[in-house]
Amino acid sequence: MRNRDPSVDTSGKYDQAECPYCGSTDTERDHPKGPSLCRSMHYCNECEQPFERFS
Amino acid sequence: MSSEYERPERDDDDAMACGYTSYDSDDDVEYAEKESADNEVPATGRGAEGVERRVWEALYRVEDPEMPISIVDLGLIYGVDVDDGTATVDMTLTYTGCPARDMLLNEVKQSVAAVDGVETAEITLVWSPGWTVEMVTEQGKESLREFGLSV
Repeated sequence: MRNRDPSVDTSGKYDQAECPYCGSTDTERDHPKGPSLCRSMHYCNECEQPFERFS
Repeated sequence: MSSEYERPERDDDDAMACGYTSYDSDDDVEYAEKESADNEVPATGRGAEGVERRVWEALYRVEDPEMPISIVDLGLIYGVDVDDGTATVDMTLTYTGCPARDMLLNEVKQSVAAVDGVETAEITLVWSPGWTVEMVTEQGKESLREFGLSV
């Protein structure tokens, strides 16, 4: 069995970021890495928009 | 090289860079480094006057290369000092390995050097205290949210 991508095992998977569009915290983290080192990918279930979080 | 297909024609094979424009590269931007900031950071230029105010105005117009936010609102500017035509800007970057380092330092340097009343612009890169997301101003957070970033 090959090693899994370590970046998908980071902590904080269930931290619900606040959606920048509607303010809802009913959100999920899709991936810990975004377009730059300090951003992660999220999805808002409330307004159904993907967004990023600065961390 | 295959000649089965035509390639777009080049306008002018002898074209040369404009002799009246000086092209400078970001790679040779000169800047100093300093261990740590000597005042509370980040600085926002509140209440600045005269030349110093114009330097802040120029800094507010410089944006982060990845996001529509001024580098001042991002919290990168640690201090500005203008003394007898020499403007010194202390600034940091979001992380030490920032690939935009030379580009950003050069942009800041050029913008400040162009300010009326500034003869020389000097940039000092400061790594302590390290930048954190808490350094973003309220207005900056607003710009980031509009851009689709949760802060």
